[in-house]
Amino acid sequence: MGSLDSYLPILFLFVLAFGFTAFSLAASKLLAPQRPTAAKEAPYECGIVPSHEPPQRFPVRFYLVSMIFVIFDIEVIFLFPWAVVYGQLGRFGLVEIIVFAAAVFFSFVYLVSNGALDWGPLKRVQRVVRPIGGRTSQSTVRRIGSSSDEAA
Amino acid sequence: MIHAAFLIPLFPLVGFAVLAPFGRKLGRPLAGWLATAMVAASFVVTVLVFAGLFQRPPADRSFTQHFFTWLSVDHLHVGVGVLVDPLSMTMASFITGVSALIHLYSIGYMEHDEQFPKFFVYLNLFVFSMLMLVLGDNFIVSFFGWEGVGVCSFFLISFWFDRPAAASAGKKAMIYNRIGDAGFLLAIFLVFERTGSVTYTTVFARLGQVGTPSLVAIALLFFLGAAGKSAQIPLYPWLADAMEGPTPVSALIHAATMVTAGVYLMTRINPILHLAPDAAHVVAWVGAGTALLAATIATSQDDIKKVLAYSTVSQLGFMFMAVGVGAYVAAIFLMLTHAFYKALLFLGAGSVIHAMDDEQDLKKMGALAKVMPVTAVTFLIAWLSIAGIPPFSGFWSKGDVLENAWTLTPALWAVGAAAAVLTGYYMGREYALVFLGRRRWVERRPVAAAGPAHGAVPVDADPGAGGARGTASTGSERHHGEEGLHPHDPRWVMRLPLLVLAVLAVFGGFINLPFHPSFVFLERWLDPVVGASLLNHHYSTGQQWAFALVDAAIAVTGAGSAYLLWRRRSDRPELEPRFLAMAWFIDWSFDHLIARPSTALASFTAAVVEGRVIDRAVDGTAGLVRSSGRVLRRIQNGYVRSYALGLVAGVVAIVAFVLSRAGV
Amino acid sequence: MSPLAALLSPAHLLAANGLVLPHVNYTAIMPELILLGGMLLLLGISAVSPRHLPTQVYATATAGIGIASLIASLVLWHDVQKGGPFSAVARAVDIDGFATLVLVLCSCVVILGAFFAAGFLEREQVQGVEYYALALISASGAMLMGSANDLILVFLGLEILSIPLYVMAGLDQRRAASGEAAMKYFLLGAFSSAVFVYGIALTYGATGSTNLASIGSFLAQNVVVSNGVLLGGLALLLVGFGFKVAAVPFHMWTPDVYAGSPTPAVGFMAAVAKIGAFGALLRVLFSTFPTLRTSWQPILWALAILTLLLGALVAVVQRDVKRMLAYSSINHAGFILLGVQAGTSRGAEASLYYLFVYSVLVLGTFGVVAVVGGRGDEGHGIERYRGLAHRRPLLAGSMAVLLLAQAGAPFTTGFFSKLYVIEASIAAHSYALATVAMLSAAIATFFYLRLVFAMFGERAGRQASVAVPVAPAGAGAPGGAAGQFPPVGTLPAGPAVASAAGVLTLERAAGLVDPGRAEAAAVADDDAGPVVADADLQVSPWVWVGLALCVGTTVVLGIWPSPLVDFARHATLLF
Repeated sequence: MGSLDSYLPILFLFVLAFGFTAFSLAASKLLAPQRPTAAKEAPYECGIVPSHEPPQRFPVRFYLVSMIFVIFDIEVIFLFPWAVVYGQLGRFGLVEIIVFAAAVFFSFVYLVSNGALDWGPLKRVQRVVRPIGGRTSQSTVRRIGSSSDEAA
Repeated sequence: MIHAAFLIPLFPLVGFAVLAPFGRKLGRPLAGWLATAMVAASFVVTVLVFAGLFQRPPADRSFTQHFFTWLSVDHLHVGVGVLVDPLSMTMASFITGVSALIHLYSIGYMEHDEQFPKFFVYLNLFVFSMLMLVLGDNFIVSFFGWEGVGVCSFFLISFWFDRPAAASAGKKAMIYNRIGDAGFLLAIFLVFERTGSVTYTTVFARLGQVGTPSLVAIALLFFLGAAGKSAQIPLYPWLADAMEGPTPVSALIHAATMVTAGVYLMTRINPILHLAPDAAHVVAWVGAGTALLAATIATSQDDIKKVLAYSTVSQLGFMFMAVGVGAYVAAIFLMLTHAFYKALLFLGAGSVIHAMDDEQDLKKMGALAKVMPVTAVTFLIAWLSIAGIPPFSGFWSKGDVLENAWTLTPALWAVGAAAAVLTGYYMGREYALVFLGRRRWVERRPVAAAGPAHGAVPVDADPGAGGARGTASTGSERHHGEEGLHPHDPRWVMRLPLLVLAVLAVFGGFINLPFHPSFVFLERWLDPVVGASLLNHHYSTGQQWAFALVDAAIAVTGAGSAYLLWRRRSDRPELEPRFLAMAWFIDWSFDHLIARPSTALASFTAAVVEGRVIDRAVDGTAGLVRSSGRVLRRIQNGYVRSYALGLVAGVVAIVAFVLSRAGV
Repeated sequence: MSPLAALLSPAHLLAANGLVLPHVNYTAIMPELILLGGMLLLLGISAVSPRHLPTQVYATATAGIGIASLIASLVLWHDVQKGGPFSAVARAVDIDGFATLVLVLCSCVVILGAFFAAGFLEREQVQGVEYYALALISASGAMLMGSANDLILVFLGLEILSIPLYVMAGLDQRRAASGEAAMKYFLLGAFSSAVFVYGIALTYGATGSTNLASIGSFLAQNVVVSNGVLLGGLALLLVGFGFKVAAVPFHMWTPDVYAGSPTPAVGFMAAVAKIGAFGALLRVLFSTFPTLRTSWQPILWALAILTLLLGALVAVVQRDVKRMLAYSSINHAGFILLGVQAGTSRGAEASLYYLFVYSVLVLGTFGVVAVVGGRGDEGHGIERYRGLAHRRPLLAGSMAVLLLAQAGAPFTTGFFSKLYVIEASIAAHSYALATVAMLSAAIATFFYLRLVFAMFGERAGRQASVAVPVAPAGAGAPGGAAGQFPPVGTLPAGPAVASAAGVLTLERAAGLVDPGRAEAAAVADDDAGPVVADADLQVSPWVWVGLALCVGTTVVLGIWPSPLVDFARHATLLF
């Protein structure tokens, strides 16, 4: 069992997190007064009653931006430890991080040129796919943006 | 220089590869010239290699050029390579030489044919196959060439495939050859089984570990193959029908290439024959029998090319006789000289046929010597040569064979001598009928539209015998006017080969003169290959003179009698009995004894065995496959979830399996 | 010792202030670097160029990059054959005969793939660099798998290989099938990757290393008594590889993905995924787990039998050529497994040879399928091929050669590839397996020949009749669906109706329509679908070049096999 000793702090962390959450929920249940009203039960407590369900479709662009963010996030995650031991890594580390940054940068340039960060109406579509009129082959759902009458 | 040997088969192959896709674009006569140039180049290389080999010491005159390993499975290694030794180079030189001449001749002969380029595609492929056959360093490569030759002969014999006779002749050649091929294949299997190799040198080195019965079986199986390809009893009838092909093809098949393959094969396996004398004697007697039988048939044929066809069969019989008694040099010697004079005969016959506007019936010719002097003279030389009149080449080579036959038993010699008499006779008859006597063609052909005229050959009226096919000449080149014939010597591309071959037919015999050991060039040349198993019986000079005189007497008897009998008359029914004209009814009996019962059996099996048993088994198997496929495809239902489930099932199964074996 | 330190074993490292740095031998990973660098360059060019570059520019560049990496690979090959195999980049990368063969092969696939893609993308008027960039990344992943000497790196290669393939599968945005294929491939691929990683974890747990060589020497020197964890790890690794090579029962994604993806991408993914996965599988089994042979051989035995039989049997009943070829590729995977299962160097040699042959064949075949599919990439019913030889003799001839080679006809490379794996299997005394393989080859001949006969047999009638006489072959459709469609076959077909029927058939055949929707589709699809006309059968010069290369290799090396055989033989030189 000796080899598992080092995992003990993690286990401790789990217990702590679980305990804290349980304690908070239980405390609020026990200590707080329970007097519900209709206004309090509404989804938003701002006082305006929602007239319809929130829209379920987001523009794809949101996801794109968030993914670009993730990429940079990852780059930063790499950069931090690299910066910490930069002195010891020396030239080797410099070369490697430049290669890495260049790769990320090229991808970023590609994304920008593809209009990933353009907001608002479409100005430019990099990949021109000639749409086939009517419907797509496999689907009975008209594809938005592909049929001629709906082309942006 | 000798390392250029790979170029020898490569040139015709390149010719084939170029002509097959582009031949039509090159058109005539360019396609023909290209093909001819390729074979001629191959001939030049052969001569150079030959010379290079000649400069080496005799013991060092054999080497293998390995190109690549085609197949390597377990201890079966099949390489593609060439074996350069005196035997293969002798073969290659006359194959390429004579073929080049025939190619040249074909440019003239086929000039009016629609399919001119295709013809040369086949010719080049044919020469390539033949060269692979003789140059191959193992049985498999030789077999490849062997089959290639068979296929090409099929294409070429059926070249005018819109004629039913030509189409069926091609099929006939193919079927007879297949029977022989089966023997060849079985022999290769047996060789491999007994020696563990298919390479000539290795096989021959390991013969010591093979028992005599196996050797006899191997030799006889090879002989079956050789008999198919070289038209020996009982597989000879196809060769007569093969006359349906264009005449240059006949020349190529008969003189230079295909039919000599069997003799080459038997010579190549001389170490085996040497150890299996029983098989060798079978070969000798079959050869002698074929020589006599074919000679008798040749005496009564009316088709100019059929006479030559049976003559070839007969001459091949002589060669096998020589092989059988162990006189390999004599066999090759005869093959060489035969290549010259038989090619000459065929090309001469082609000239005649060309001049006579596709007429092949001897009885409708005559007196052509005046109008076609070159053809007549060269044909005369060929006749005297094949008859064995001294000092033409045939005299030396045939004398050599007969002399060796005597060594085995005088009876064999007697059969051979009889055939030799007949040889002089039937060729003399042909010469007399074509070139001498009355002119029988002017009044016969006032209108060309009279057409192929069945019944023009009264003797060969039976359609089952295939005899009438020769004259059914609806060849594509009916270009002359309607008013009659103007026979004349052909133009130079056809004349040149005649002259070259005539010279060779006269002097070809000097490569192996018997009188003094220093004259036997061919024997010394071939010594490294066949020397060990050669029949080494030397006669005294006196005996040799005796043989020579008897040979000359035989030749003069045959040729002279023909001259006297046929010089003036063209119609001697008493000398052309029906059973000879019908080729001893061999075709007829094959048809009734073998073909018809087989057909009946085939229809029976087709109806009963095939329909009731095999079909159902096959359909059942196919049905099983199909229905299991239908069931299995249900797994593929399109849902990712079930795919994932399948994956998990696989994981569980595999993990369960390993854990069941795990030591806790 | 931390995992990092275990990875970077001290012998090859420079110690600098307590931190160990790997020595990177850049020539050893030059082919990968060329592909990835080239990819970045392509991306950059496409980004900064003010207008759309024609797809041919990218294709040319990709082929050039492929040739450069081929040269680099051949240099490595030469080094290895001359100076022996070596290990680089902190022993994480092995450059031996085996790895260099994979490098060479991947480079060839990139080059050929570029040719076929150019023709396709040009016809479909798809612009952009994406296809080529993805192909380059994917190929570099396969290279990494082939030369990896560390399970982590194998996994990295696997992912670099796979993720671009998922995207390529979905590249054809006009067809829902393409997106569906990408989704299915991604979901199942992610699932199998998870299994694979778990296998790595278990192996690491059992042996204390992820380095293949270290694991191998550890197992050779120690007897693991309670080997449950180790065997479990091995089993999960096998599952991961099995998924990538489409071995039954991990093959389920194959037909749907192959049928849905853009056709040249199918050829590429079939080739490159098999190269990478088999490369890594061979190395893992042969150099790491030879001691566990008795455990993995039965597993592979079962996998091979299932793969061989299922691939052949189900292919027989397909009417969609892409699906049929998908099952045929499953069948091929079974054959390659045959050589792996033998567990001998002869088997490895046979498998590598097969891999080479298969890659060329599958690329070429799908290249032709892409052409015949016509604009819109929809016409993949077998009826499209009817009488093709009369309309496009050269195309049909090439296809026939490739199909016959796949069937294993003599005088093609396909013959030797089948011969060698079966021979290796027999030499390893797996007689039952060899028999099954031969049986499955016989069954497989049927569906290859059916396509050949369709091409060379009957002449197609009017174009209108092209898509009509199809029995609904839907795997996805319930059995009753067959009853719904007979009217289609008897319609007096105008082109539009016919192709609509063809589309419907395809859709069912592809198993992509869920049963509930089939009926709606039948009702809705009465207006014009993509018209696939014969005039569409234009073959771009790019495709001709690719086809000439494929067919030429197949025939020439089929008659003269020794160079490739020797290549495969020398490649069994393991580190």
